[in-house]
Amino acid sequence: MASAELRQIRRRIRSVESTMKITRAMELIATARIGKAQARVAASKPYTAKMTEVIRNIAAASGGLTHPLFEVRDLATVGVLVVTSDRGLAGAYNGSVIRLAEHHVVEHREAGRAVRLYVVGKKALTYFRYRRYQIEHSWLGVTDTPTYADGRGIANVLLDEYMEGRVDGVEVYTTRYVSALTQVPERYRLLPITPPEAEEEATPVGYTFEPSPEEILDRLLPRYLEGSMFGMLLEASASEHAARRRAMKAATENAEELTRILTREANQARQAEITTEISEIVGGAEALARG
Amino acid sequence: MAKTFRVDVVTPESVIWSGEAEMVSARTTEGDIGILADHEPTMAALATGAVKILGPEGTVTAGIHGGFLQIYRNQVTLLTDRAEIAEGDLEEARRLAAALREAAAEET
Repeated sequence: MASAELRQIRRRIRSVESTMKITRAMELIATARIGKAQARVAASKPYTAKMTEVIRNIAAASGGLTHPLFEVRDLATVGVLVVTSDRGLAGAYNGSVIRLAEHHVVEHREAGRAVRLYVVGKKALTYFRYRRYQIEHSWLGVTDTPTYADGRGIANVLLDEYMEGRVDGVEVYTTRYVSALTQVPERYRLLPITPPEAEEEATPVGYTFEPSPEEILDRLLPRYLEGSMFGMLLEASASEHAARRRAMKAATENAEELTRILTREANQARQAEITTEISEIVGGAEALARG
Repeated sequence: MAKTFRVDVVTPESVIWSGEAEMVSARTTEGDIGILADHEPTMAALATGAVKILGPEGTVTAGIHGGFLQIYRNQVTLLTDRAEIAEGDLEEARRLAAALREAAAEET
């Protein structure tokens, strides 16, 4: 008959082990998804790279660019978009990007600029809502596997806000995927669009435009925003999976360590129990022999 | 053999085709365009339609919906919103393009 102490330790071992099963499963799922997310990030790069090249070529051909989306206005109101995940258990992933964003929001306000806040992901939504920030628009359920339509939807709302003058610029706070081990929270200026620097040896090319350069830019720039937004969502998603894998790996290792310690304690308790029993028996036998 | 040039068909999600070609035909908002090597630098907006790429290794057709076409230094880049390689002839590619347009209309 096991003592109360021993029973309690065994119950804890069982509970730690079942937690470990969950964290290990989550680790494996995240590992599987990083690969896919990483491949999507890589596959989406040529589009934005080519887009940048095209804009640069138009600039070189038409001798400088003028378009409402390139115009730098006085920043009276800043649009801030924060990209986080819907689910937690991803270590410092959400915390770091939220901290970076909030820091800059406070800075803007201190400098007398108004801020309009937009969020992607439940984590940013609950964080900022709890702190009584007004949230203009939120997108949920997109960061796990972002589609181009998600990127376009977000880009279009921000573009509308900008074109209608509700904001004079848009900053995006998101996480850049550097490698499986490194993900960096970053600020990215989405609007106004910073025209790409002309290549040094660029000679003005006599392009034939069908239709006119203005019309091409009108069509091109929104696509460019959508593509950039989509690229950022993909990187954020890859970062989320990488952060989750690391967090779950650490949790699994902690659980393993805890099981080892608890097993040792259980063994000690069992030994102590046996020792007590033996000494009781020996004591009883001696008492009988003496009697 | 005719002179070849590089062609990339790129969508936001991936590069769907990339290689050498002798002739490319596509549909722009202003009308159909046929491209041979050493074409003058051109920038055009793409309409919904079929793209045909005649290469040394055979012909590839694809349905595309919207985007841009850039011809620059003997490099043709089709930056499309949506594109899909057709398994069959031009007819098939046109049908694909129409399907892509419908899919785009549904999303917005």
